[in-house]
Amino acid sequence: MAPSVRSLIMDDAATTKAEVSAAPSRGVAARVIRIIGWTSIIAGLLILGFVVQQLFVTTWFAEQHQEELAEEATTHFAEAEISEVAYTPPPPNEAADNVSGGGTVSSSTGGQALEGADPRTILVESEPDRGVAFAVIRIPKIEALEDGWAVVEGVGVRDLKNGAGHMPDTPLPGSPGNAVISGHRTTYGAPFHDVDVLGSGDIIEVDTALGTHTYKVRELKIVKPTDVWVTEPRDGAWLTLTTCHPKFSSRQRLIVFAELVDGPNYESIYA
Amino acid sequence: MKQWFLDLPGPMAAKIVIAVLVALVALVALFFVYDWIGSNLLDTGGTIE
Repeated sequence: MAPSVRSLIMDDAATTKAEVSAAPSRGVAARVIRIIGWTSIIAGLLILGFVVQQLFVTTWFAEQHQEELAEEATTHFAEAEISEVAYTPPPPNEAADNVSGGGTVSSSTGGQALEGADPRTILVESEPDRGVAFAVIRIPKIEALEDGWAVVEGVGVRDLKNGAGHMPDTPLPGSPGNAVISGHRTTYGAPFHDVDVLGSGDIIEVDTALGTHTYKVRELKIVKPTDVWVTEPRDGAWLTLTTCHPKFSSRQRLIVFAELVDGPNYESIYA
Repeated sequence: MKQWFLDLPGPMAAKIVIAVLVALVALVALFFVYDWIGSNLLDTGGTIE
């Protein structure tokens, strides 16, 4: 039997009523979905921006500074005051514990040699000012460091924005003791990105105002960021590189210990 | 966003200038935040402390 006009009108009215009551809930759902969608898009853009800024923008700036810093280092090489000072190697019993301090360095006028020790002289350069590029580190095995990377004095956040910095309370490269250089692993040019490929016997060269100091890698270690013992003085002349580990994390530190094998002070320190 | 722009004071030229300035300040602030996060969590430069 065909539906009457009245029943059709009634059905139509019921449907309209249902649609009207469902509309607000559909509106809320759409709004929630829209908010979630926009939040996800904005969060994604912020994360993408972070990655781009950290990996590419910081590196671009660091690489732009490298040219200036290389020139600054060359100027420092020419202008640094170099003097010859008395150097007394540590006594053998201290040498055995390997953290005695690398002997005694004193000015040529006021130096006091230890009794019975063999007095020697080494070359020292004037302390560079904070933030000044005073050395160039080269690691032939690492492509990024094949041509050298300027090292500035200081390991503050600002100093390290140039990539690599020398810890001020440690001797300068080429001097007796333990010269510590810290560098970025993933940002700001990431000069130490690939130092984990180094192995025992690999060469590290550091140019300073005194000349080129050649080190050989002796050991790699992974330590905690608070393991300050890695910066303590050592007998002989050492270079310690420190960087973050693993890559993209500052949870640990990768340490490269290298010992001087050639350079202006090598004969005096190791004679 | 559109409403925020329209609510800015002054004529259209002034609104545009203000909006650009606000965007630049926000961008610089964002880079500082990125820098802080990066220097403290992602890569501190390998310092021992």
